[in-house]
Amino acid sequence: MLFFPWPVVCAQRNASGGGVMSDEEFDSRWVEFFSKQDIDDWELRKGVNTLIGYDLVPEPRIIVAILQACRRLNDSASAIRVLEVIKAKGGPRAAEIYPYILQEIQPTLDELGIKTPEQLGLDKY
Amino acid sequence: MADVPAGRLPKPQMRGLLISHLKKHSAIALVFAMGVTLAYKFAVADPRKRNYEEFYKNYDVKREFEAMKEAGVFHSARPSWESSDD
Repeated sequence: MLFFPWPVVCAQRNASGGGVMSDEEFDSRWVEFFSKQDIDDWELRKGVNTLIGYDLVPEPRIIVAILQACRRLNDSASAIRVLEVIKAKGGPRAAEIYPYILQEIQPTLDELGIKTPEQLGLDKY
Repeated sequence: MADVPAGRLPKPQMRGLLISHLKKHSAIALVFAMGVTLAYKFAVADPRKRNYEEFYKNYDVKREFEAMKEAGVFHSARPSWESSDD
């Protein structure tokens, strides 16, 4: 079992130097990482911080896995923070990307009872 | 391009946003920098060079020296209208 996936920013290459990783594989490895049943707080934080260092907005299914991990760790604060961070990753195109992400993860938000930062008024300073 | 059920947002571009931004803006920056360089060349550098060329085309250093000497600016080459001390 990998400690955490090693794909690199631009061309997602395997750490073994075996060539470029496909987007699906990249996503699946991250879902797998966050789906570890006994994931700990450190791994969650490390995983999220590594993931947001990449030049991409994480796929909804990765975000779902992160939120499920937050649930297992009883970490509601991180769940909401992750949503803020996903919006930030959208950069200038956040207005287009963030609603799409919310649409895709809404079932998980409802299931886990996670409120978005906007619903909590945390997006206003 | 995929069919989206009514009322659902289509999937936007989510990967490589920074790199595409950098490529586009690097190209713009390069073109702009080259434009500024050319503008400086045509507006400043070339006229300056032409001015120097024009100035030195018929420059006679002996004539200029005599003119300066007569103006009295030299210590060791006094003008012709100044009498010597002894």
